[in-house]
Amino acid sequence: MNPFGTFVQLVVDGLAQGSIYGALALAIVLVNQATGLVNFAQGSMAVLGSYIGMTIGNLFIPGVGAILGIIIGILVAVIASLAIGGIVERFVMRRFERAEEDTKVVATIGLLTLITGLVGLIWGFNPTPYPFFFGGSESLRIGDVSISVWSIVTFTTIIALMIVLQILFRGTKLGLGMRAVADNAPSAALSGIRVGGMRMAGWGLAAALGTVAAILLASKSQLTPNNFDGILVYALAAVVIGGLDSPLGAVIAALGITILESLAAAYIPWIGHDLKVVVPFVLVFAVLIIRPQGLFGRRTVVRV
Amino acid sequence: MKNIKGYDAIVANRWVRLGVFLVALVVLAVLPLVADPFTNQTISHVAVFAVAILGLNIVMGFTGQVSLGHSFFVGVGAYAAIIPIRDWWGGPLAEGAIVIGFVLSALIPGVLGLLIALVTVRLRGLALAMVTIALPTIGLPLAQKFSDFTGGNEGVSIRRLDYVGADGEIHKGNPFAAGPGLANDQWQYYIVVAIAIAFFALAYFLVRGKYGRAFAIVKSNEAIASSMGVSPYRYKVLAFTIAAVYGGVAGFLLVAWGQFTSSETLAFHNSIDLVIASIVGGAGSIVGAILGGIFYVTVSQIMNGLQLSIYTTLVQGVVIVIILFLLPGGLASLPRTIRRLVRRGRAGHSVDAGPTAGSTTENTK
Repeated sequence: MNPFGTFVQLVVDGLAQGSIYGALALAIVLVNQATGLVNFAQGSMAVLGSYIGMTIGNLFIPGVGAILGIIIGILVAVIASLAIGGIVERFVMRRFERAEEDTKVVATIGLLTLITGLVGLIWGFNPTPYPFFFGGSESLRIGDVSISVWSIVTFTTIIALMIVLQILFRGTKLGLGMRAVADNAPSAALSGIRVGGMRMAGWGLAAALGTVAAILLASKSQLTPNNFDGILVYALAAVVIGGLDSPLGAVIAALGITILESLAAAYIPWIGHDLKVVVPFVLVFAVLIIRPQGLFGRRTVVRV
Repeated sequence: MKNIKGYDAIVANRWVRLGVFLVALVVLAVLPLVADPFTNQTISHVAVFAVAILGLNIVMGFTGQVSLGHSFFVGVGAYAAIIPIRDWWGGPLAEGAIVIGFVLSALIPGVLGLLIALVTVRLRGLALAMVTIALPTIGLPLAQKFSDFTGGNEGVSIRRLDYVGADGEIHKGNPFAAGPGLANDQWQYYIVVAIAIAFFALAYFLVRGKYGRAFAIVKSNEAIASSMGVSPYRYKVLAFTIAAVYGGVAGFLLVAWGQFTSSETLAFHNSIDLVIASIVGGAGSIVGAILGGIFYVTVSQIMNGLQLSIYTTLVQGVVIVIILFLLPGGLASLPRTIRRLVRRGRAGHSVDAGPTAGSTTENTK
């Protein structure tokens, strides 16, 4: 293969993998906007959603055919994770609303463990294949360049979802309410917005977005209860680099670090495949030193 | 302090406290001579992780920051301890290699912790958690990459090392084998528990004095801390560095306990388990670290014993959520909570209910 072809392939695969990290990073930013905390259980909630999709999909496929079965599975998974996100916010995280920041972090760590344990209890810890339209190895040839179908579908799906979310936030009353709550919850409550409901909606949307990303990832590899532990770490790196208050920044950072990582692995020999994981975190440290609020974040001033 | 009576007065009396401490010390000293090897090994194992969790408590419970990369420091400390012992114990250094391993196990994680803290503590609150979660993720491939040094996935074992005996022949030996009169498990128990007690004593005096007060004020309000001339940045860096040193020493103790380590020691899930154990025990207290160590070791031991190890994660998750809801101060705050409930029961409904969920890391010392 020619060098240019390899380069394009690396960038496209990087964009696809990066869009998965970006989806989770965006989910984390959404939750942070809605409730002011970082949800370390975001990945495990996504995995739970994708397991539900797999089970429902496999249930329907013999009856209604593969395509329809897969679609039903995905729809049920998205609806279920909307509900799960809302329920977790209402019945678990609401309790820690006024607690200190470190307690909230620990609470989401508890959720991470609980959900991972629950998924392991129901579905076991062995890798399970996810029923999907195509496998991870199919690829499309354009001239000299071969690009995997999975990468194209993943990237376009997640970018489309992000546009839909943007429209939701900018153009609908629900989105306006959610932004009002994120900006100033007491004022929002005074103007008649149901703060609790908006927070539940924020958590639900974040969980649903994560679930779609988890399904896309599972269609390439396989499902395990810890599927998203590593991805969570990348998503958090993207959030730190992009800025906790910048949805767009988090997504751009996620795409950027993934492409840089795969390019560094391919073109810098001593990094190679083993050490590529170090690249994003060197960037994290560089950003923290130069611009602690993140590349796209706003500096916050704390009043006493 | 004038109206305390009964139980409180007894607990508050320093002579009673000292007496309890001395009795505990004597029990810990005599126990290995009469107990079976399994008990000795379990208690030493608890001591190993109690030290690791104590470090976590200093950074989480006393200074109010969450570190999700503590297993990284335990793992690095274990490598820093085991590699010099593997390479030098059989040579002219002999037992000196163990001392070097011990010093390095504190020094290397401490320096790494200092560097990481200098950068990450600049951001408030969540940044430390979000960055430290990456440490195991970076550490694992690094450990596997330099497999000549770290043994890769197989890890490093020092149970059978070559050494030149008095007769000039080469023998196989274990650096942590017992001298005459003691069994291996007893000897390792004494090493691990003695070092653990020393580090608990250090932490006790640290958090009681100037530093403890500085940590507490930084935790409760950084602005007030600055206005009082206590630099939040400096004390947060200090707390994180101390935590890293404790993690590293726990790594040495792990090597003394099992004479083995691998990249698995620094895996991500161990960090999570340590945080959970810290909160379950009580992050804001020194006794909590011991309870956390007991929780860490016995839960997986019991689950493995029942052949239910696949449910270990679920049990930990259920316990941590229950603790967060019902006993935010961890098991260490249980006596106090019971007393408060009893008192409230006596006083009828006149006492207000208080906040629903307080801080998990409330000081109970």
